[in-house]
Amino acid sequence: MANWNSILRFLFRRSEVERELDAELQYHVDRQTELNIQRGMAPAEARRNARLAVGGIEPLKDDCREARLGRTIEILAQDVRYGLRVLRKNPGYASAVILTLALGIGANTAIFSLIYGVFLRPLPYRDGGQLVVLHQNVKQSQQHDIGFSPLEVSDFAEHSHTLDGVVEHHAMTFLLLGKDTAERVTTSVVSVNFFDVLGVKPLLGRTFLPSDDKRTAAVLVLSYQYWQGHQGGDPNIVGKVFQMNNMPHTVIGVLPPIPQYPVESDVYMPTWQCPFRSNPRNIANRGFRLISHLFGRLKPGVTVGQAQNDLSVVSAQMCSAHPGTYPAGAGFQIATDPLQYDLTHQAQTTFLVLLAVSAFVLLVACANVANMMLARLLKLERELAVRAALGAGKLRLVRQLLTESVLLSLAGGVLGLAIAPLALKILVGFAARFTPRAYEVRIDGPVLLFTLLVSVATGLLFGLLPALAPRLNAGYSVLHGSRATASRGKQFLRASLVVAQVAVSFLLLIGAGLMIRSFLKLGAENPGFDPSHLLAMRIDAGFSRSMDNASQRSLRETIARKVGAIGGIASVGWISNPPFAPSGIIAGPGSQDFEIEGQPTSKGAPLPTVDVSVADTNYFQTVRQPLVKGRYFTPRDDEKAPVVALINETMARHRWPNEDPIGKRISFDRQHWITIQGVVGDTREYGLQHPTLDELYVPADQAGGASSLVVRTAIKPDALMQAVRAAVHDVDPLLAIDQVNTLERFEYDSLTPSRLMTILLGLFAGLAVLISASGIAAVMALAVSQRTHELGVRLALGARHGSIVGMVVRQGLVLALCGTLIGVAIAAALARLLSTLLYATSPTDAPTYLAVAVVFLAVAAVACYIPARQVTGIDPLNALRQE
Amino acid sequence: MPKPKSDLLQGTLDLLILKTLDLEPMHGWGISQRIQQVSESVLQVNQGSLYPALHRLEEQGWIASSWKTSENNRQAKYYELTRRGRKQLVEEKDNWLRLSAAVGRIVGEA
Repeated sequence: MANWNSILRFLFRRSEVERELDAELQYHVDRQTELNIQRGMAPAEARRNARLAVGGIEPLKDDCREARLGRTIEILAQDVRYGLRVLRKNPGYASAVILTLALGIGANTAIFSLIYGVFLRPLPYRDGGQLVVLHQNVKQSQQHDIGFSPLEVSDFAEHSHTLDGVVEHHAMTFLLLGKDTAERVTTSVVSVNFFDVLGVKPLLGRTFLPSDDKRTAAVLVLSYQYWQGHQGGDPNIVGKVFQMNNMPHTVIGVLPPIPQYPVESDVYMPTWQCPFRSNPRNIANRGFRLISHLFGRLKPGVTVGQAQNDLSVVSAQMCSAHPGTYPAGAGFQIATDPLQYDLTHQAQTTFLVLLAVSAFVLLVACANVANMMLARLLKLERELAVRAALGAGKLRLVRQLLTESVLLSLAGGVLGLAIAPLALKILVGFAARFTPRAYEVRIDGPVLLFTLLVSVATGLLFGLLPALAPRLNAGYSVLHGSRATASRGKQFLRASLVVAQVAVSFLLLIGAGLMIRSFLKLGAENPGFDPSHLLAMRIDAGFSRSMDNASQRSLRETIARKVGAIGGIASVGWISNPPFAPSGIIAGPGSQDFEIEGQPTSKGAPLPTVDVSVADTNYFQTVRQPLVKGRYFTPRDDEKAPVVALINETMARHRWPNEDPIGKRISFDRQHWITIQGVVGDTREYGLQHPTLDELYVPADQAGGASSLVVRTAIKPDALMQAVRAAVHDVDPLLAIDQVNTLERFEYDSLTPSRLMTILLGLFAGLAVLISASGIAAVMALAVSQRTHELGVRLALGARHGSIVGMVVRQGLVLALCGTLIGVAIAAALARLLSTLLYATSPTDAPTYLAVAVVFLAVAAVACYIPARQVTGIDPLNALRQE
Repeated sequence: MPKPKSDLLQGTLDLLILKTLDLEPMHGWGISQRIQQVSESVLQVNQGSLYPALHRLEEQGWIASSWKTSENNRQAKYYELTRRGRKQLVEEKDNWLRLSAAVGRIVGEA
């Protein structure tokens, strides 16, 4: 409860305060004098006596001032002024410290804003903590997140007692036709109360109302990103009509710029407008699990655990009521997760590793700065001793040192804040690969507060160590004693600081080394086909023109002919989803159950699963996926011919380990049987970091749906991108083309998270090593200059310069080696945390440890050698004369 | 802030000052005289701690000061209780009574 008036008055109207203090005490002395005279003293004696009674006017005045809060501020201001003066006089020291700290604090600020934005900031929904996500899993076949059918959604919505509203979501791609545009839009199909349950208010217009479910008029809500990016932020967008799925759709609203979960959609529509979701046959089919996400809002006071129990009961009742859909032994289960967890758990390991790493870098920086400060104190010992001798209390000296270090760290913090936004820009792009919340990351109040706290804590940390160093108050011996024996305590402190720095830097370097090794292994993986000179794009004719197999075939052939006629195109093929394509990576494998002829599974036991792709006759030759056995598809594998399939080597090994799979038959429905005609090589379908799964390929002419064009070019594929696009639109201008890219770039993008993590860890480790190396160099330099006398004696006694340089380097290396050994021990314990981020690399990978140790000790040797060379400049005579 | 240089129990000087000012606004000299008189010279207030204490109490907002003409026709710095000071006095008095009763019980039994 500070009395601001009084503080301000004390600080800024000081002369008035002093005058009043004088007058007040004078009045007292006068009255006491009068009293003394009345008691019979002589006037002079009476006055002297009165002054003595208060114990001296000046000390009393001091005590009165000390009683004021303003005085504390005044002392602080004095310390700050003094600190600034000291730093101005030592610009090299000050800028080295500020820069070191700015890097450390800047990195921590950036990483913290990431952690705060993703994990700690409340969800941008009303009472986001009450929102849960439901997942349906099948325990026996270990299938997670199989989705929900419309009938299952209504079961959960109607029978749960713990949820206030259950809303569904699935994403489709439809063609959005404007006056003269065709655009493929990602469409979220949601319950009409979806936005109400989430608590999202529209930016423009309105969101859905129950009346929008009455099937009278089709409506759309646009996402903020789509409205800005594709509709030019048109303020009159509400009311605009688009053609979609053969119906006019009216825009009724625009969402605010919130992260969209689970899908970054362009537009939202109510369930009845989705032709697949509203098909009566699909609605009646309990196994038609089109709906990928089910959200709920917990009733007030209900915990996630209670909701989980409640929903498990609903799930169990559902299963026993429909044993045909849910075989008794299959183990259909429901899992309830807080939305916050679902949004962020993928990012957790990566981000926490980054946070730990950046905190380590800051610690290394702190140790370094503490060392610099100790070195400066050694030079200042005389000044400090003089000041102590003149009566400056130890507390006051410590306070001054701390003021100085906090000033430095605050300056470092300010500079760090200038660096942070740059770092953050890169980090947000990186984070977006793990969590949609990345776009909420920004530097704001809580982050600034964090930076301030970290800066002050840093300043206190590196200021306190030297301030509490043993010799600060031993002024006497410094004034009298010899230099040779001084400061042994500080030397030890400095050496331990260096060892700690080295240990932590080594730990970080190990982390970076493991990531690099893992990344190299990843890059060396064989994708199973040749991604160079391959161009891919998705081509969609839209739902409005859903075609039979024959017309699909003729469209494919027409496009292939047109594109193949372009100069520089070597080969053209079709596939349902090209390897490495981002949609495949995000959605993951869409496994299908099947049965092998002659190997019926017992009732309730899980069926084998496989990924199914649709390829045309030219696909395998186009991407150069080798044939291992049997034959590729031929044009004769058409609708009239028996249904055939190719499998990959993994599936052949997995399902027919000791047999020839050619001629074997499988079925998805136990009615239609598919004959395996060939085995093709394995591919890394979902990116190099994902293992190969069982893959089955069916011919496009029999199955339909091969909508991605894959083109092998003889020249640089980028050069032909426009020409291929134009050729496709030549066939039909209303075909939507998207996901146009080269497969090399898809491959590059799929490795981006690993690459960025490797680069980040490498940068942090490099920074830490640089800081530690400068720390080692500084300590050795000081040790040499302090031992000038001793080294001079050695030289005078006949030691050669070279052997003394060797001695100094050896002593430095002993420190580095101690640190390295401690670092190895810590790394072996901590590196396990990295294991989920590593590819085919053990966290205690011996070659990595060895390589890192060699590199590190080499750096340390250089850092020792540079200051050790000063020895050659020592003139024995001068050195001896110094004492 | 330094502790008052006093033999009195910590906080007791504050209580004495507050209690004295509860009767009427008073200057420092008057406070020391009043305490001495009322306690029949048992309590000698150390001048060296009285004034720092007054400044501290003013800083805490329990007393306020103003310049007035004193009984001998000179300008003197008068202190008076604030509203918060009156509350503080009640609290400190309670504390003191509890403490002295407790001490009394122990001393009485011994």
